[in-house]
Amino acid sequence: MLFHTYPFIIFLAIVLPLFYLLRKTKLWLPFLLASSYVFYGMLNPWFLLLVLYITLLNYAIGIVMSRLPFDPEPGAPFYRKQIFWLWLGVFADIWPLAFFKYARFFNENLNAVFGWVHIPFRLPDPSVIMPFGIPYLLPAGISFFTFQALSYLIDLYLGKIERERNLLRFANFVCFFPNVLMGPIERAGHMLPQFERPAAFRLKNFTDGLSLFLIGLFKKLALASYLQIFVDRVYDNPGDCGAPELILATIAFGWQIYFDFSGYSDMARGVARLFGFNLVLNFNNPYLATGIGDFWRRWHMSFSRWILDYIFMPLQLMWRNWPSWGTAAALVVTFLFSGVWHVAGVFWTYIVWGLLHGFGLAATNQLERSKYYRKNVPTWIKRAGTFAFVSFAWIFFRAHTIDDALLIVKRIFIAPWSNPHIAGLIIAIIILAWIYQILHETRWRETLARTSWAWSAALAVLLVVILCFSSSGSGAFIYLQF
Amino acid sequence: MTPMERLEKVFRVVFDDDEIALRPEMTANDVDGWDSLSHTNLILSVEKEFGIKFNQRELLTFKNVGDLLRSIESKL
Repeated sequence: MLFHTYPFIIFLAIVLPLFYLLRKTKLWLPFLLASSYVFYGMLNPWFLLLVLYITLLNYAIGIVMSRLPFDPEPGAPFYRKQIFWLWLGVFADIWPLAFFKYARFFNENLNAVFGWVHIPFRLPDPSVIMPFGIPYLLPAGISFFTFQALSYLIDLYLGKIERERNLLRFANFVCFFPNVLMGPIERAGHMLPQFERPAAFRLKNFTDGLSLFLIGLFKKLALASYLQIFVDRVYDNPGDCGAPELILATIAFGWQIYFDFSGYSDMARGVARLFGFNLVLNFNNPYLATGIGDFWRRWHMSFSRWILDYIFMPLQLMWRNWPSWGTAAALVVTFLFSGVWHVAGVFWTYIVWGLLHGFGLAATNQLERSKYYRKNVPTWIKRAGTFAFVSFAWIFFRAHTIDDALLIVKRIFIAPWSNPHIAGLIIAIIILAWIYQILHETRWRETLARTSWAWSAALAVLLVVILCFSSSGSGAFIYLQF
Repeated sequence: MTPMERLEKVFRVVFDDDEIALRPEMTANDVDGWDSLSHTNLILSVEKEFGIKFNQRELLTFKNVGDLLRSIESKL
């Protein structure tokens, strides 16, 4: 069930009033969990087993780890045991994700190697070992609830949080319908306290939640879907397009994925707010970033903070005696992981995308932090440079193959500029979005925030008009495939 | 000099700001330029200044200046 579809509206219309009716009873938390399981199970009931597995696994390891008193000193009595249980938990959490995401790719490549060296043995396709005819498909949301469960274990190991004693609360944390499919990736320290008691009934939660939802819906249905039509046309046949179209389609894709994913995140936060819950901000005007590092502090923030805390920081601290190279290596490895995680269908395009960001960060992090860069380089130059780099990397993210991506890069420089087929409305949307974000970072921010209710009402009306006159399908979200 | 004063000196050098006045409850949000990238420089400078070594897990558990200071004091 996706937020921008009718079944979800019906789901919400049933669940929301019941939630508030049950708010003063002990049933509110079981009801919330049941609603989340219905929401998740509608996609594929079998994959609920996976949610239950992750929930019970991490709850159980939490019990074991909390029995070993926390002490970060290497000589402490339970030090080795804690490390053992942490790694056991990490592997037990990750194998389903790794299996569903990479098993087929791994087998195909290994079989190709067997073929080259004339070994007659072939690994079967992973789908043959699936029991009960469950399809070999990536379970929706698996990355997001796995990452969330991992953050619980690691934070517990680091003594940052207490163990959650209440299984019901923990189950809600692992599978909370507003963010189970595509994030934002929450932390136990932020989310678990919110399941302790239902938030007080406030009208402001409704107005804020509804306006966030409507803004997200507009971003997805009106903006992302419209840009997608143009982007798909150009990226499906890059050899037939001239340089201006390729450049515009690349810029348009940057905005399409922003509207798609930040629109989804807005809807997730809006839905959660209707129930009185706060989910973390996932996007903060990313295309106003003044450096690649700044971009990652503004883009998919819950994920970038996750890889920063759990991959980059440990690596960087481990390699700290090797100062500048250690940081660079940690950045490259971290973003290689990001690339590997984004892999969907094709492999190498996402790896190149991740490595571009990793090497880009490694090369510029000293510059970005220097006083000269921060104080003397005009902001618009920094923004334009960052956007150009990010857009260049998006070419690899969006292209169907590496060959396509290289062809696009080549044609941007050599293809003719004559007779361009440029859609004026696409350019208008992109310019308006930029102006809105720039205003958002000035003293107008307050005004924009205060009038968000009016904005979203206006957008909702516009949305209805657009939907009445358009026949284009809205499609699934880009991040559902990860 | 107390460990706190020595730590403050390290902070002022690392973040190039002579105005920094450390308090135990301070976090990375309170010091301009203290982010994950500058954090290693800070840790290296602290290790050098006090002649101590932190282990990786300890480093990941520090929540604020007070935690860092307690760990330093326990190693002196």
